[in-house]
Amino acid sequence: MKKILSFILGSIFALNLSISVANSAANEVRVAYFLEWPSPNLEDMMKKNYAKALGVPVKWTSFNTGVEMTEAMLAGDIDISYSQGLAPFINAVKANAPIKLIDVAMEYGMGNTTCVTSNASGITKANASELEGKKVAVPLGTMADYVFAKSMEIVGVDASKINVIDMVPEDGTAALISGDVSMACLFGGNSVQAATEVGSRLISEEEAEAAGILGIDITSVTNKFMNENPGMVRTFVEVTHEANARYNSGKSDLNSMAKASGMEMSKMKNTLDGFKFLNAEETKQSMENGNLSGFLDGMGTPTGNVDTSFLPL
Amino acid sequence: MLTQFITILIIVSIIGCILYGRRLIKTEKVDAVFGNPERAKGGTHWVIVGASAILMLWLYYSWDIAKGFYPKSANELCQVAKINESLLGLKYQFPIEEREFKSTSIIKIENKNLKKIANEINKSPDLNDQQKTILVSYIDRTSKLIPFLTSEELIEIDTKIKIQEMTEQIKQLSINFQKKNYPFETDAQKNERQKLINEQGGWGIVTIDTGSGSIENTIEIPTAPQTIKGLKFHAAAKELSLINDKFFKLRNHNPLFKSSIKQLKDDIKAYRKSLNDSEELASDYAKNIVKIARRIEFASIYPPNALNEMQEAILEFDDLQNKEQGGLRLIDILLFPSGTIVASGATCSEQGSGRWLPKPSDTFNKFVLLSKPSVGYKNVPLLWIEMVDVSKMIGFFLPDWIADILPGEYPVHTKEGIVKDNFKSNVLKVVTGDFKLLKVPVPYGHIWDSFMRVFLGLMFGIIIGVPLGLFMGLNRFARGFFDPLIELYRPVPPLAWAPLIISVLGIDNSGKIFLLFMVSLSIMIISARAGASGTQLSKIHAAHSLGATKKQILRHVIFPNSLPEILTGIRVAVGMCWGTLVAAEFLAGTTGIGFVENVAKKYFQWEVIWITIIIMGLLGLLFDITLRKIIDKTIPWRGKG
Repeated sequence: MKKILSFILGSIFALNLSISVANSAANEVRVAYFLEWPSPNLEDMMKKNYAKALGVPVKWTSFNTGVEMTEAMLAGDIDISYSQGLAPFINAVKANAPIKLIDVAMEYGMGNTTCVTSNASGITKANASELEGKKVAVPLGTMADYVFAKSMEIVGVDASKINVIDMVPEDGTAALISGDVSMACLFGGNSVQAATEVGSRLISEEEAEAAGILGIDITSVTNKFMNENPGMVRTFVEVTHEANARYNSGKSDLNSMAKASGMEMSKMKNTLDGFKFLNAEETKQSMENGNLSGFLDGMGTPTGNVDTSFLPL
Repeated sequence: MLTQFITILIIVSIIGCILYGRRLIKTEKVDAVFGNPERAKGGTHWVIVGASAILMLWLYYSWDIAKGFYPKSANELCQVAKINESLLGLKYQFPIEEREFKSTSIIKIENKNLKKIANEINKSPDLNDQQKTILVSYIDRTSKLIPFLTSEELIEIDTKIKIQEMTEQIKQLSINFQKKNYPFETDAQKNERQKLINEQGGWGIVTIDTGSGSIENTIEIPTAPQTIKGLKFHAAAKELSLINDKFFKLRNHNPLFKSSIKQLKDDIKAYRKSLNDSEELASDYAKNIVKIARRIEFASIYPPNALNEMQEAILEFDDLQNKEQGGLRLIDILLFPSGTIVASGATCSEQGSGRWLPKPSDTFNKFVLLSKPSVGYKNVPLLWIEMVDVSKMIGFFLPDWIADILPGEYPVHTKEGIVKDNFKSNVLKVVTGDFKLLKVPVPYGHIWDSFMRVFLGLMFGIIIGVPLGLFMGLNRFARGFFDPLIELYRPVPPLAWAPLIISVLGIDNSGKIFLLFMVSLSIMIISARAGASGTQLSKIHAAHSLGATKKQILRHVIFPNSLPEILTGIRVAVGMCWGTLVAAEFLAGTTGIGFVENVAKKYFQWEVIWITIIIMGLLGLLFDITLRKIIDKTIPWRGKG
């Protein structure tokens, strides 16, 4: 009996001690990023410029979704998430996750995040009300989800009357092609391309832009890392903005970027054409009373999760 | 209240059951030796202990016990966490939580980096000697910047005064902090705070928007200080974060340092400009050296003894606030296992097991809410009843082409714009279920959908798998013909089919049921085959000699003989089907328990995730118990000969 008791007490004690002992000394910085989502700073990733600028090694880990990035940050395995989608970030802070938004990675027209109606369904913007009662594939909780809600507002359709099916973009495309859904909301160049082969965009890129549908990817950081290593956070943002400036002036090494993002050169250029990399002033503007702040307010995001103090102004 | 009661009940029942168990051993008169199954019989009290232990673990690690017994502790700990957050940056400068001064570690790292670059430059075959000497001289100059910052003599009076000021502020705070009425709150402030407290509600409160039928996570921990003690910490945290900001704005830059770093930067800039395109490497190195210089510029590097007083003041305050916490520290350590409450700016959140393990009380409340048909999840209730006309079912079962093959034409509208039904269109109405009959209740909802998918997948597996398995066990052709096919497909994990499902079978139930069918089919075939080929030959001979036909032998000898194997196979298949269900519902989710879990994950709704897990466990158990009953009824001879 004593043995059992001491075993139980011992294991409880051990569990209590297993409080995440993260790298407070910051012997390395762990950054999350996306493959197939090119950005100028990937060149710096390849050339280890971040490590040089930060003075410690930088470990880059690729993720599939922004939700996974948040989970890894909460588990203490990632310090900085680069180009996390805004929608997953908002969901995370709504669930009280201790992460902060410190920079805008890029803004993009919704060329690569859009809703596509199938030609077979015969639905266009003009008769969009026919969507009510039909099946629509939407990856819930992502930027495409946001685009879906916004698009429905624009075409004047009651989104609650639509039969929404939760599908990742690849599956959504497959369902659109097979005719199982009338519309699929997608993100990612490959998926959108495949979908537009059998359908057309509900809202054209220009219309979407005019209506203020805009994709914003951000850089987020865990509170812990931010408090402990403010200098490193600042350097990270600075190097990123240097890379953006280099790209905007046409001096980026595209080969190295293509290699880092795992894309073909032509596809990457196409994707990059839709991206807008802001400079520090524009970023601050966007964060304080521009696109980003408008987006956050529109989604009912709790305040106090945006920090502009790390921008290299 | 309920949590407190249950906690005490659990403790009492565990102790009681253990005592009872020990007494039972002493008084029991069973002369069974070790190894006799008799010894394992009975023991309901151990069932109670086991179940209670699980519940206790859940209550403890979800911090529900803390919530039950000390409902205000989260709020107070939140205020303490605010102090920790504002102190963190300052503390981090000193060897309090770290082994060395921040200045020390920065200097160490940067010296190492400089050495590394120098080595690289010296070894580089692509740089000429002239470039090497210039770059090395820059490195030298960069490393000489550090003594300008660490020298006691060079530190500016102004900087010293500012550090002194901050130290005084911390000391003043320590003095004030000890006073009973510390933040010196006025009545107006108190009223305002009271208003905030009333607005924010309690710990772990979940608000429900029944209008849109959604369940959202809300503030889990009230942030405005509820108690006097909390208020003290809250106010001190505010002051500290001001000091913290001030400290990080302060730079220990004296004129000597400023001029030499400016000189260095300008020199390197000029040098990089003078280089042509072919000397990019040298330019890169020069750029990296500037970066190190800039890091040194922005780091908080101070002379070794300049911050001693400040460090002491911080330590003193830290001690004070630790003392002030008193019993709260004990609660934090004992009742908030593996994690604690963490502040992030103005808000607080649970970090640790309390985060992903929702409190039983919250989970229960949310479950009650989800079960309400008007709320449900994503507009679909968990399990409810819908009145459906019988005609719909008739329409579902009768194929529509019955109407098409009848002679005649469908009615065409007349000039007056009237459509007159004829016999053919009336038949069409019947076969499509477009008429009214009596209504019967039909269950629907997430749980029902999941249940039906498993049930149908299993049924199809049994209907096809059992005859095929028996056939294969009895017939040379069938065995030879189907064996390679089955053996090839059997080891494939069912989820390997998943990428194909949507393209081939679409997004409706057929794809999900197909996945589950694939799972159950192989199991059913294998078990039926094993059952058929395992029939004792003597029984078949006996039946033969009594003049039984082939059909009779199959029906009365072989089938009953393989039933135990088949039923065991079904039990295994049910388990496997549940295992696959969640993944199957991840594809093209519309309804189902797996869909609920997947969506809840995206919105970090931990309670919902746990509810789905528990529901799946209970449903699996229900299936298994039903099967056990069926097994006991249909094959009472199992295991008895």
